[in-house]
Amino acid sequence: MKKKNVTVIVLTVAVLFIMGMTAGLIRGSSNKPIKEFTAFFDVQGEEINEDNEIRELIAQKIGARCIEQWLSGKSAEDAIASFIASGEYTDLISGSTMLYEAGALIPIDAYWDNYPNIKAFLPAEVWDRFRQPDGHIYWIPQFGIVHGKSAEVLHEGEAFWIQTRVLKWAGYPEIRTLDAYFDLLEAYVAANPMLEDQANIPFTILCDDWRDFCLENPPQFLDGYPNDGSCMVDVETQTVLDYNTTETARRYFQKLNEEYNKGIVDQEFYTQSYQEYLEKLASGRVLGMVDQWWQFSYAINNSLERLSDQGCGYVPLPITIDSSITNQWHVKRGTELSVADGIAITVSCEDIAGAMQFLNDILDEEIIKLRYWGIEGVDYEVSENGMYFRTPEQRGKSRDMEYKNAHFCIYSHLPRIEGMLSDGMNAFSPEYQEEEFLNGLVPDVRECLAAYGCRTYVEMLGTNDAPGAWFPMYSFSEMLTQESMAGRVWDRMKSIKSEYLPRVVMTEDFDAMWQQYMENYEACQPEIFFDAMQQELERRIKISE
Amino acid sequence: MNKMKGTKIKTSAWDKVFVVCNTLFMVAFVVVTLYPVLNTLAISFNDGTDALRGGIYLWPRKWTLKNYITVLQKQNLITGAYITVARTVSGTLLALAANAILAFIVSRKNFLFKRELSLFWVITMYVNGGMIPTFLLYRGLHLTNSFWVYIIPGMFSAFNMLVIRTYMAGIPDSLEESAQLDGAGYTTIFLKIISPLCKPVYATVALFVAVGQWNSWFDAMLYNRMSSHLTTLQYELMKLLSSVTNQGTSAEAMKNAAGTVTPTSVRAAATILTMLPIICLYPFLQRYFVTGLTIGGVKE
Amino acid sequence: MASQDKKRTITWKEVKKQKVLIIWSLIIVVYGVIFCYLPLAGWMMAFQDYKPKNGLFHSAFIGLAKFEQLFSDSTFIRVIRNTLGMGVINLVVTFVAAIVFAILLNEVKSNGGKKTVQTISYLPHFLSWIIVTGILHDALSSTGIINELLLKFHILDQPLNFFAHPKYFWPIVAFANVWKETGWNAIIYLSAITAIDPSLYEAANMDGAGRWARIRYVTLPGIKPTIMILLLMNVGNVLNAGFEIQYLLGNGLVKSVSETIDIYVLKWGISQNDFSIGTAAGIFKSFVSIVLIVIANQIAKKNGEERLF
Repeated sequence: MKKKNVTVIVLTVAVLFIMGMTAGLIRGSSNKPIKEFTAFFDVQGEEINEDNEIRELIAQKIGARCIEQWLSGKSAEDAIASFIASGEYTDLISGSTMLYEAGALIPIDAYWDNYPNIKAFLPAEVWDRFRQPDGHIYWIPQFGIVHGKSAEVLHEGEAFWIQTRVLKWAGYPEIRTLDAYFDLLEAYVAANPMLEDQANIPFTILCDDWRDFCLENPPQFLDGYPNDGSCMVDVETQTVLDYNTTETARRYFQKLNEEYNKGIVDQEFYTQSYQEYLEKLASGRVLGMVDQWWQFSYAINNSLERLSDQGCGYVPLPITIDSSITNQWHVKRGTELSVADGIAITVSCEDIAGAMQFLNDILDEEIIKLRYWGIEGVDYEVSENGMYFRTPEQRGKSRDMEYKNAHFCIYSHLPRIEGMLSDGMNAFSPEYQEEEFLNGLVPDVRECLAAYGCRTYVEMLGTNDAPGAWFPMYSFSEMLTQESMAGRVWDRMKSIKSEYLPRVVMTEDFDAMWQQYMENYEACQPEIFFDAMQQELERRIKISE
Repeated sequence: MNKMKGTKIKTSAWDKVFVVCNTLFMVAFVVVTLYPVLNTLAISFNDGTDALRGGIYLWPRKWTLKNYITVLQKQNLITGAYITVARTVSGTLLALAANAILAFIVSRKNFLFKRELSLFWVITMYVNGGMIPTFLLYRGLHLTNSFWVYIIPGMFSAFNMLVIRTYMAGIPDSLEESAQLDGAGYTTIFLKIISPLCKPVYATVALFVAVGQWNSWFDAMLYNRMSSHLTTLQYELMKLLSSVTNQGTSAEAMKNAAGTVTPTSVRAAATILTMLPIICLYPFLQRYFVTGLTIGGVKE
Repeated sequence: MASQDKKRTITWKEVKKQKVLIIWSLIIVVYGVIFCYLPLAGWMMAFQDYKPKNGLFHSAFIGLAKFEQLFSDSTFIRVIRNTLGMGVINLVVTFVAAIVFAILLNEVKSNGGKKTVQTISYLPHFLSWIIVTGILHDALSSTGIINELLLKFHILDQPLNFFAHPKYFWPIVAFANVWKETGWNAIIYLSAITAIDPSLYEAANMDGAGRWARIRYVTLPGIKPTIMILLLMNVGNVLNAGFEIQYLLGNGLVKSVSETIDIYVLKWGISQNDFSIGTAAGIFKSFVSIVLIVIANQIAKKNGEERLF
């Protein structure tokens, strides 16, 4: 090798080293008084720009900002586990039992006396439900904390959804049962097999990894129970019921099996990834699916708006197994408070007081408005009588990804106060402002809702109060870990379900497969799990009395 | 080489059949290998929403650069690219030097601890302490939240050592012996005699290490998560690809016919962008493989 | 070479002569001890009821309980079967494919063609698994190219959902490995082939050997040392059948054949906050690998072949 070459290489290496080292110093040397906190959320999310305008504005006002990091691997548990393994955390994190057990979190109730927004975020008796075995509170719930009245317009939860073109084609019939739903899909696809040059997909279900709950939990809704998630609760007798083994469960899966064999259920429903699922939906080819609104809506809204003239928007249907059963798909917002998780401060945080102050400050009304509405005169307008509204142009901008990343900073997974602002007339977010919701509806969806005499999704389903103080029970099962027998049984049950449910749907011999599934399911000893659920139910009832 | 034996081969009927079959096989091989790459290329230049309809094979139907613009607009991408280049270049050169020295030592036929040292490294291929102790160690050594974590822990590798060792073992002892008679020490023998002959295998190992460095993202996530200025290109792309929102523009923006992107189309663009530098590097290294082959041919 | 090792005596004179080598060796060994052997202290976790809260040095010791738990778990046995199955298939298939490809490519006469094919064949190696599995998922989906071709040639009358059937999983993994690595692995053999003494080919030609005989009696023996050393290295890797590809392609339907030891460790170890069980599985893997490698090395030594140590 020639001398010259060696020199060049040595120089390059030296330069690159210096580059690598100095890259670290550039950021560190900024000496603004603004505090910066890092946060990790165990869901996938959109990273906003480094120089995001509203984040800077909020930082100027409260003296702190938060750098959000989102899940980038496949599962949330792995990500959390890698934090635990390393023993190093972001300042803020999606708190959970796993982190509590690892000693990763600091008790917020030991610090909250100076931070009224946090302490008064929930009534004391509700805060008590967040106490861990050691008597302390470690996380603040982010969603569903309603101060004042909540506008019930969005149905964020689960439902059987259907495209408006199907309903329109059939003359807007009343669809109340699972059988009627599939009959309609069959009839429509027989008459209209294609959307432009592509085949319609009559029905699909998202089953990617942990997102398979929409395959396994509809039996509870079909039986007219609300979303307790891992069990049903009989209100009369106050007992926990298993929805996996009911006659309804069997009928539901048998129906799916029939429809699968007829080619109505997407042949790939089980093997498709979340991405592929969203792409199918965005293409407008999927006539119906059972899913929770938040899983698909944000991702495909823009695509469906373009397909609105073809009637590709989705509306929820109040479906049960039998028309005599009243559905409880929708439960009033604010009653469905999950105590299983929330935002927590970790032991790695060097400025706990500063982090508490930050969480406290972002709950101030002024900041809430900035987070969700944006800047007055730029992102929204105020009418003469004080109502907030957006012009069509502002509404369009708020959905533009590039603009959103550069401008808006909603801190979506930090705590928020929902319901009404203190003026009593405006919702905390345009999404929940009735006028805004209606103006933002895709034309075909609005037309379809009107045909049923409804204005909102919620009116399509009807609304319900929470059945009792225990609701929802999934907040307990989600907290179970391997430490307890019930937790281990719960894991085995989930594992058996994820292995057998697709088989049950895809089999050619339903009865045999169902029996095999039931045998394996019973072998997990689910009664151990349900005993624990029953105890928790009784404990919760007792606390509330 | 082929030329000199080419004319002497008796061309039988079987031979002709073989040549035809072999050519067909190579063509098939190229098609199967290249098709997915070209398909990705086509999708990367195609409008995202349009691509959802399927039917795109080797040529985009609705051209757009929007996918590339989306990828290139990603925050931190420049930092990531910068760090990735830095770690690839410095990591490769250091690892190459380290493994070459190690291989040189264990390929000296009369070295006293030859076998022990080989065994010491071969074992490391099959054992590891796991994530927690490794993390504790790196933190203890102040390697976490530092650029060095990309370079130092993976510097020596038994596999690369073995590759170089096998090659060095094929170099005639007589070269070393005559140099020793001339009074050359081991340092001189390594630098002046062995290394120049090892260019091809050095190029191979350099390629191994460089590709590994270029593609890695897990270490960035695990050890440098808190230091966004030390992020790597692949880690940023990983994050981009797992952000699920369909980055469609609004109906308003649509009227300007800016084109739309979907996660799949963005992924395609990201793939092509990360492959490009490595592909450009290849012909440069192939030169060494080819010259290496002729040296190998005449060395006996 | 082998006999020299046994007769070796360490004399002061030799040590002095090899001063430079020994000093470098020491530096390298210190590095190796720190980065490769020190973390093995983590193996303690396998004998502990490890709690992240208590750390490595304050968790309670529980003896072999974790190993007993592992081997009494029917899932683990299944996982070993999958790992061995895929490991052996991948080893054999990728190994043979690379050698065959190298030999066939060597038989291509046109130099340009040779170089072009060679360059293209490396491309897939530069793709990460996440991209390769993405491509596979697209290609094998119901509207993907494979199904389209199968339908066009009437091999199937309706699209086949490849990822729903356990029987296709191992072949898909093997194919993906072959597709991704054949060109890359072949480079070592190609260079070994060109290093073969040309006079051997001439002699073979003079003896009237055909193409097949030349491959069999000249080319293959010529690259045998290379084959041996790579084979030895890979034998120890049989239990490293992979993680990413199975993880990215797996789903509930094929779980019974897709989960490897590494996935098991992640799922039932780390995700469940039980780091001890993962460590125990890791120790088991290392133990098997080292046993395999020592056996293979001994066999190679006995037959006078190239060996690792």
